[in-house]
Amino acid sequence: MKKLLLPLLTLAGAVALLAFWSNGFRTFTVFSDTLHRAGPLPREFPDIPLRDQDGKAFHLKDQKKFHLVNFVYLNCPEVCHKINNRLEGVYHGMEGGLIPKVLEFVTISFDQKNDSLERIRSYRSQFEPGIAGWTFALTDRVSSKDFEGFLRQAGVWAKPVPKTGLINHSIYQFLVSPENRIVAVFDPGRETDAAILARIRSCLDG
Amino acid sequence: MPGRIGALLFWLAFFLLAALIAWPANAWFSLTMPRHQALQLPIMAGMGALAATRFKTLAIRGLSLQLSLLIGMLASLTFWMLPRSIDLAVVFPSFNRLMLANMLVVGFFCVVVFRALAWEIRILFQGMVAAMLLATGFALRAITVLLCSAYSISQQHETGLALVAYGAAIFLTTVVSVFRGLGTRNAEAKRENAGEKTRALNFSAGSEQAECGGTKDEQGG
Repeated sequence: MKKLLLPLLTLAGAVALLAFWSNGFRTFTVFSDTLHRAGPLPREFPDIPLRDQDGKAFHLKDQKKFHLVNFVYLNCPEVCHKINNRLEGVYHGMEGGLIPKVLEFVTISFDQKNDSLERIRSYRSQFEPGIAGWTFALTDRVSSKDFEGFLRQAGVWAKPVPKTGLINHSIYQFLVSPENRIVAVFDPGRETDAAILARIRSCLDG
Repeated sequence: MPGRIGALLFWLAFFLLAALIAWPANAWFSLTMPRHQALQLPIMAGMGALAATRFKTLAIRGLSLQLSLLIGMLASLTFWMLPRSIDLAVVFPSFNRLMLANMLVVGFFCVVVFRALAWEIRILFQGMVAAMLLATGFALRAITVLLCSAYSISQQHETGLALVAYGAAIFLTTVVSVFRGLGTRNAEAKRENAGEKTRALNFSAGSEQAECGGTKDEQGG
């Protein structure tokens, strides 16, 4: 028994370390870890001043309706465009009359340096016609440090890659209630559009 | 004196190479997932093993300590294969250097522990490492969800292939070790059997001689 003590202690230490590192074997990626650290649902969606494609300043919390929020950057080589194309399918899958009365889509840019109002307006025009209630937005006079804090509180991982202009980031979509609380998080990497639609409907129905 | 110069040159080259991998070449290794996971890590572990060969007589004895070190090594490998660890190692070079130092230590202790390790435990350990690499490799090949934000899904697949190759190589080495070990053990067992038979024959022959001698003695008496 004495001989087994050291190996057993080492094993316990190793399991404890791995459990600590993965939040109890629940989060193995930086995406899920950042989301986990932001706190359990439902929780408040952090406030940040935004400006839409037409230059109009707004805060999500002032609009008192459901919002499906996602994050992209226009220089993204692949993923962001795929995700927005999928989101377009979700948008058109929603029943008529819900958007923009009950629910709005908001796509916020990660890239404070390169994405401008002109660029997001031009990008949005590629989804036309008929995407009323889908706003593309930039942060409005928000420092990079404050934006990092906002993303962390929201549960979004984003790290610019030095010298490349690329940003490594999460692709989660957040359903925010009229009370400005995150009520559901969707992962388009794992969930189908139909599953996301079903979950949105379920949340809207209360 | 030439031995000392040789040792000095070895350690100089060793530390230069380790520093090269950990600092100037780190950006190159971190650029893609296969380079990071399937090249940088094994190179550092290999260098650790190479360093251990300079200490020819150093061996960890005592099953308790050996098992603890093996568990520690497996935990290290698991830790650095987690997507979160990989991402943070790419974002923070100092964290990456911690990983490289850890791999050096793992490689070093792998050799030092294996020197005096029971054959059965060595087979078990190798089998576990092979299984771990194969499982991770196949998972990386199959998963179509991005696990590491710093890399792409195609790089995940390439890394998976490399891990499967490493796992298969270790598995084959293990199989060869099993059969060689069994062969050696059979030979030893045969030798022991033969020895026992000889001893038994000697014993019975001795008894017969003693009996005969006794008879002779008796005869002589």
